[in-house]
Amino acid sequence: MGKLTIGVFSSLVGSMTLDFAVKLAEAAKNKGHDVDMWLSGNATMLSKKTQKKFRDYSYLEGPVKDLIGKGMQVTACEACAEARGYHKEDTLEGCHRHSMDWYLASCFSADRVMHIGGE
Amino acid sequence: MKLGIFVNQYKCTSEALDRMKADRLGIILVQNGIYYATVKENGKAAALLDKDAEFYALSEDIQSRGFTESDVDGKVKVIDYNGLVDLIFNDYEKFAWI
Repeated sequence: MGKLTIGVFSSLVGSMTLDFAVKLAEAAKNKGHDVDMWLSGNATMLSKKTQKKFRDYSYLEGPVKDLIGKGMQVTACEACAEARGYHKEDTLEGCHRHSMDWYLASCFSADRVMHIGGE
Repeated sequence: MKLGIFVNQYKCTSEALDRMKADRLGIILVQNGIYYATVKENGKAAALLDKDAEFYALSEDIQSRGFTESDVDGKVKVIDYNGLVDLIFNDYEKFAWI
């Protein structure tokens, strides 16, 4: 088995790309790989807690909590989050916050890296 | 180098895709990118499919847009998320998202 690092910059709900990244992470975890997910730019909103579930909306808080429970490392860019006005206490349980060096370190220790840009 | 390029949009692939070369090149169509595999242009397959590469399309994105596998061009291999994970770990090394 290997390690996959996914860096995502696309927005929560605004684009289906973040949904794609979470589904890919889930498939990789289920196959026994380790997965790190780095959230930057608008993707940092994925690590904000109390996301409301609407019928026709994409809802990722639940699947991400499950994946964290299975050992996926999810880390949001601290600066990007603060710039968007949400702070440590707003962060989803199990999600970490770091500066970008966390992402670089994760990439260097990964077997595969996928960098998914923003819109 | 074995390079996998993800294409998630239709009709707005950048010039970068035309300039990309690799020992082994895979083009992975996801989200609206699957239209390259299913929509004919003036009765012909999309020009993208003429590129010297192996083509893949994500089954979930094909079906959620109302197509079936029989609509997919023969050059394109249909994969699911499990197949995509295997592709990432076994068939390609580096990835680009365009």
